[in-house]
Amino acid sequence: MNDSTLPRTLLEEDSETLIADWLERLRARWHQQGAPGDDPVILSVHLNSLHAALCDALNEPRTTPFALDPESRLARELGELVHHQTRQGASAEEVTDLVSALKPLLMKRMEPMLHADPAAALPLWLWLDEVFERLLGFTFAAFIETRERIITQQSLSLLELSTPVLRLWHQVLLLPLVGVVDTARARHFTERLLESVARYEALVTIIDVTGVPVLDTSVARHLMKTIDAARLLGTRIVMTGISPEGAQTLTKLGISFSEVTARASLRAGIAEALSLIGRRIAPLEQARP
Amino acid sequence: MPGPSTTERLRVRDPNDIVTARRAARELCAQLGFGNADQTRLATAVSELTRNVIQYAGEGRCQIEDVSDAHSLGVRVTVEDQGPGIPDIERALRDGYSTSGGLGAGLPGTRRLVDHFEISSRPGLTQVIITLTRRR
Amino acid sequence: MRIPILRLGRILLVSIQVDLTDTDAMQFQSDLVARVAEIEALGVAIDITALDVVDSYMARVINDTASMSRLLGAEVVICGVQPFVALTLVEMGRELLGADCAFNLDQGLEMLRERIAQRGDAELGEDDDAWPINN
Repeated sequence: MNDSTLPRTLLEEDSETLIADWLERLRARWHQQGAPGDDPVILSVHLNSLHAALCDALNEPRTTPFALDPESRLARELGELVHHQTRQGASAEEVTDLVSALKPLLMKRMEPMLHADPAAALPLWLWLDEVFERLLGFTFAAFIETRERIITQQSLSLLELSTPVLRLWHQVLLLPLVGVVDTARARHFTERLLESVARYEALVTIIDVTGVPVLDTSVARHLMKTIDAARLLGTRIVMTGISPEGAQTLTKLGISFSEVTARASLRAGIAEALSLIGRRIAPLEQARP
Repeated sequence: MPGPSTTERLRVRDPNDIVTARRAARELCAQLGFGNADQTRLATAVSELTRNVIQYAGEGRCQIEDVSDAHSLGVRVTVEDQGPGIPDIERALRDGYSTSGGLGAGLPGTRRLVDHFEISSRPGLTQVIITLTRRR
Repeated sequence: MRIPILRLGRILLVSIQVDLTDTDAMQFQSDLVARVAEIEALGVAIDITALDVVDSYMARVINDTASMSRLLGAEVVICGVQPFVALTLVEMGRELLGADCAFNLDQGLEMLRERIAQRGDAELGEDDDAWPINN
């Protein structure tokens, strides 16, 4: 047995059984964890190409320590599979199972070799162990990367979703704030608001903070900046939806929003905004003959 | 004519004592014949000083005494505590300086209310003496 | 010791009749703020005629209560500051009482009514979320 090549019996011989066993183990584990089973057909296609890539990679001249080139076919196949599984909502454990389910199968295939020629088989065993460690590490890194990408995308879409600037009436805008006000979001809605104030020449802007869970110093500072900038354009600010706790916190922090007209509810705020532009909501019978 | 000189010694241990101390100060002032404005000044000053005791030292003493003589009416208040002391008196006497989140008008405001203001502080003993005097 | 908060329509009326300890003052503040939010008060009148000592702490409590109420959408007036209290506050320095003041409760209420009349939401009742259109 040549030291630098992998015995065919390990990976390539009877590869269909190997992949079928792999798939079976994987599905059994996932089932045990209560994970929603992925489509076995798709999974088996993935495992087949992963197997092929693994054969390629392991038949290369053996290097110690084993290095996984991120451009290699194996890295790409594995990365893609992890990416796919993670997008489906797989947990870290389920994703690492992809690799760790194969390892015992290979170890089992090595058993006869270990019995026959322990001196030759042992280095191979150790090397394989190292290969799997690397693959596991790579899998985990790929999992994290995918998750981070998902989170970034989600927060971006949240940014778009949660800060609409609404045209309430001619020259009256409404900015309903919902959720956490952090630096990124504050910058985003401030920009959107300023654009809208300028475009619609808004005389009054209502900022409703009913949906902001905590009004603390940093939120207040962001709001102050937004308000100051908007006022420079010539719009008046009506703030609504401050809770009693919010009012107490703001005051204790020394923030009085003195340039702002505060109203208890959005309803009162709308009435105030309309009156500032000389409009009023009135019963229909007054207008109709 | 002034009656026998009176001295009130009060312990300042909880926030209710602030109210007690400023009332005692006002009463003594009224007894001695100070006008309403002076009564209010002294009561307010005592209120500020005893609150400082509660806030920074936890407990202390407040002594209000009649220091009138033949020519003038006088009342002196000594407030002291065994607290950690004021690290920087100069700053504490400056307007708008506060370590407690207050308005920062306590000590400098008090100084402006009275005729004589004396403060000494080191770890373990902080003493403020204020006096209000009026010609008879 | 709790200070009673009286309600006149959508105006709240508080008269501080006793010398408040610091704890009482904080209690008063949170009670009033909660009530302002509860009834969506349009105005608050705080009468301090009976207070013969207002030190920097009490001044701060009153100021803060006024700011909090304003943040909740109410107009605020402080009524009945005693002349010597006013003098002392001025001597102590700076604007210790920043809120609008009225001579007495009567004038305070008048001031509130005037200001409320200028507001856009003055005519909104408490339960007319929509104007009736059934006739």
